[in-house]
Amino acid sequence: MKERFEIDSNSNVLFVTSQCNNHCIMCCQPPQKDDDFNFCFNQNIKLIKSAPKETKVVCITGGEPTLAGDSFIELVSLVRKELPLTDIHVLSNGRAFSDNEFVHKLKVAGEDKVFIGVPLHSDFFRDHDIISGAKGAFNETMLGIYNLANEGILIELRIVINKLNYYRLPQLAKYIFKNLYFVSWVAFMGMEDTGWASKNAETIWVEPIDYASQLCRAVKELDDWDIPVAIYNIPLCLLPTEYHRFATRSISDWKTRYLDICNDCSVRFECCGLFGTSMRNYQGLKAI
Amino acid sequence: MRKYALLPFNFITILNHEILINELGDFIITPIGTVQKILSHSISDEDLYKTLVSNFFVTEEILPSLLDIYASRLRTKKGFLDDKTSLHIFVLTLRCNQNCIYCQASSQEETSKHCSMSLEDMTASVQMMFHSPSPNLTMEFQGGEPSLEIDLIRHGIETAEEINKEKNRKLTYVLCTNCRKLSDDMLELCKQYNILISTSLDGPSYIHNKNRGREDSYEKTIAGINKARAVLGNEFVSALMTTSELALDYPKEIVDEYVSDGFNGIFLRALNPYGLAAQNEDWKRYNQRFISFYKTAVDYIIEINKHGIFFREEYASIILRKMLTPYTTGFVDLQSPAGTINSVIVYNYDGYVYASDESRMLAEIHDYSFRLGKVTDKYEDVFCGSVAKRMGKIWANEALAGCSSCPIKVYCGADPVRHHSTQGDMYGFRPTSLVCEKNKAIIEYLFSLIVERGDEVLPIFRRWVK
Repeated sequence: MKERFEIDSNSNVLFVTSQCNNHCIMCCQPPQKDDDFNFCFNQNIKLIKSAPKETKVVCITGGEPTLAGDSFIELVSLVRKELPLTDIHVLSNGRAFSDNEFVHKLKVAGEDKVFIGVPLHSDFFRDHDIISGAKGAFNETMLGIYNLANEGILIELRIVINKLNYYRLPQLAKYIFKNLYFVSWVAFMGMEDTGWASKNAETIWVEPIDYASQLCRAVKELDDWDIPVAIYNIPLCLLPTEYHRFATRSISDWKTRYLDICNDCSVRFECCGLFGTSMRNYQGLKAI
Repeated sequence: MRKYALLPFNFITILNHEILINELGDFIITPIGTVQKILSHSISDEDLYKTLVSNFFVTEEILPSLLDIYASRLRTKKGFLDDKTSLHIFVLTLRCNQNCIYCQASSQEETSKHCSMSLEDMTASVQMMFHSPSPNLTMEFQGGEPSLEIDLIRHGIETAEEINKEKNRKLTYVLCTNCRKLSDDMLELCKQYNILISTSLDGPSYIHNKNRGREDSYEKTIAGINKARAVLGNEFVSALMTTSELALDYPKEIVDEYVSDGFNGIFLRALNPYGLAAQNEDWKRYNQRFISFYKTAVDYIIEINKHGIFFREEYASIILRKMLTPYTTGFVDLQSPAGTINSVIVYNYDGYVYASDESRMLAEIHDYSFRLGKVTDKYEDVFCGSVAKRMGKIWANEALAGCSSCPIKVYCGADPVRHHSTQGDMYGFRPTSLVCEKNKAIIEYLFSLIVERGDEVLPIFRRWVK
C-alpha cells in the first residue's frame, strides 16, 4: 500500500476494511474480524485529499468495501468531488448490489466514472457458492450485476481460475455471453499462491499448463462475440502465441517479479511477470 | 443429484442427438435418451446437470431466484415489439420496365396510367407513418419500378423530413429498384438523403436474363449496381435474389456470381406462392427442390468462408442469431407475434393500407382480406381495426395448433397472410404447410451442421450473426 497516490500507478488503493462476507477458498488477503471501518475511513480521507488531481485511477477495495455501507458511498462521493477526473475502480463481490437502492446511491455518488470488478467463479450456482464460501452468494452476485447494469455502471467480471472451476470455463464464457452480454469486459485471472490459496492448495491449486486449453476456448468464445476479454497474471510463456494479445501487465507494480530466465526473454517487457507475493512459481516457465 | 423441477423446454432429435431448446432459443446438445433421464431423475453426468441448471432447463428451487433473469432475457428476445411498426413500405406504382417471369407484384407496362400513387396519398401516408411510436422509421420505396416515379419519391422524402423537424425520428430510406434505369437525378437524390439501394440479381446472366424476361437485363443491372456504387459507395448497394425453377439447378454458380460482384452476402429467397394455391402439387415439388438447393448453397458458402472470405447467407444468419445470441431479430417473416402490422406496414399506390407486402400482392388478384383501411383514415382505425384484430388472434405461434408444441418454434414465426394465400385459412394447417416444411428443414439443417461440424462452422456462424 502506498502512503501517497501516484498519477500513473495502477495501485492507488483505498482500503476500506479487512472484513468480508465471502470466504473465498483462494483468497489472497484472508478477511479479519476487527472493526477497522473508522480507522480505514480516516486514512482514506487523507489519501484522497493529498492525491494529485491528475490521478488516473483509484481502486476501492478490501475485504469487501460495500460492508461499510453508507460510508462506502461517502468515500466514492468524496473521490468524485476531490478528484473529478479520476476513474473509480471498485473491487467487490457484488452481493450488496442485490439491493437496488444501494446501487442507485452508488451511481449518484460516483457519476459516470465508476466501474466495478466483480468475481464470478462459475456458471453453476453451487460451484460459485463453494468457491466463495457463502451459500446464496451466486444469486446475490448475479442480481447485483443486473442492478449495476440497470444503473449504467460499468462492470468487469473477474474469474479466478482454480481447480474447482477451470473445466467449466468454456461453459462459463457461454453463460456470460448469453446472460451477461452487457458487461464491459471479462478478465480471466491466474491465482496468487498466498493466503488461503496456499492453505487450500491441495483442493484448489491448478497449473496454467493444465487449464490453458479450457481458458483459450473460453477466451475465444467471448472474443468471437466481441466481448472484451483479458488474461491477467499468467506469464506469456504459458499461453499459446495467438492468445498473447489478451494478456495484460495486470500485476500491481509493487508486486511484480521476474525470474533470472526472464532476462533472456524476448517478450519480458510485455509480460505480467509473476507475483512477488506468491509462494511458488508456475510450472513450465521459460524464455521465449 | 438434488431434487429438481423442470422449467419449460422442448427437444428435437437430430443425428442421434437430443437437442434441448428452451423458450429463449438457448440449446444444449445432449446424447440420445437424455430427456428420459431428466424426466426420471436419473442423470448421472454431473457436468450435464450443471449445464441444465445454469441454463434454466431445470431448477432446484420451486421459485427460482434468478428467474427474473430469464424474464429479462425473454423481454430482450421479443424486443422487436417494443417500438411497434418501423418498416413502412410505399408501393409507388405498378409501372415497370421489366417482365420478370415470376413477378408477384402484378406489374404493368411502363407507359400504363392509373397505377401510381397520387401526391395527396403520399402526403397522407407519410403523416400516418409518423403516428407509429417507433424511434426508427424506414421508408422503403417499392413498385413496380419505383425509380420511374422520382417526383413521388422526392415528395415523400421532403414531406417526411419536414414533419421530422418536430418528431425527431431516425429516418432511413430504401429504394427497391431493378437498377435498369438509374438516372443521374435519381442517384443525386439518393446521395442527398443517403438512400440505400436494394436491387434484384438472380445470378449469372443466363439465369438473370431468363427470369427477368429481357436479353440485356443482367448487363443493365450490373452496370446500374456499379454506377450506384460509384456515386453512393459500396455499402449503400445491396442485392436480393429470387430462386426461380431454373435457378434451382445452379446453387454454386449463383453464389459465385454474388462473390465476384463484390457482395459480402446473399439472401437465398424462395418464390412465394401467392395466389397460386391451385397448383399446389407443383409448389410441393418446388419447395423440396428449394430445400436441397438451399443446403447445397449454404454448404458451398461455408467452404468459401473457410478460405478466409467473409460471405454470409442472410436467412441462415437470421436464424443463427436466434440460436446463438441473446439478441432480438427484426426480420418480419420470422417473428412471433408476426411481423405484419407489428413491424411492417404497406401504403399502396391505390390509396389503401395493407398488412404486408404480400397482402397488397393479394389485392392485385382481388383478394382484399388484408386491406386495413384508407391512407386518409385514422391511424387507430387502420392499425387496430377489425382486420388487425382478426389477425391478432392468430399471429403468435406460441398459441397456434401445430406450432405451440413445436420444439423449434422459437426460431420461427407466424405467417397468417401466407397461410391464407396458400391454404385458404390464415390460421393454417401445419402438416401440409409448405412454409412450415421449409423452415423446419432449414433450421434442422443448421442444427445438423452444428452437431456434426461444430468446431468448424461455429466460428464462421458467429461472424455471420454479429
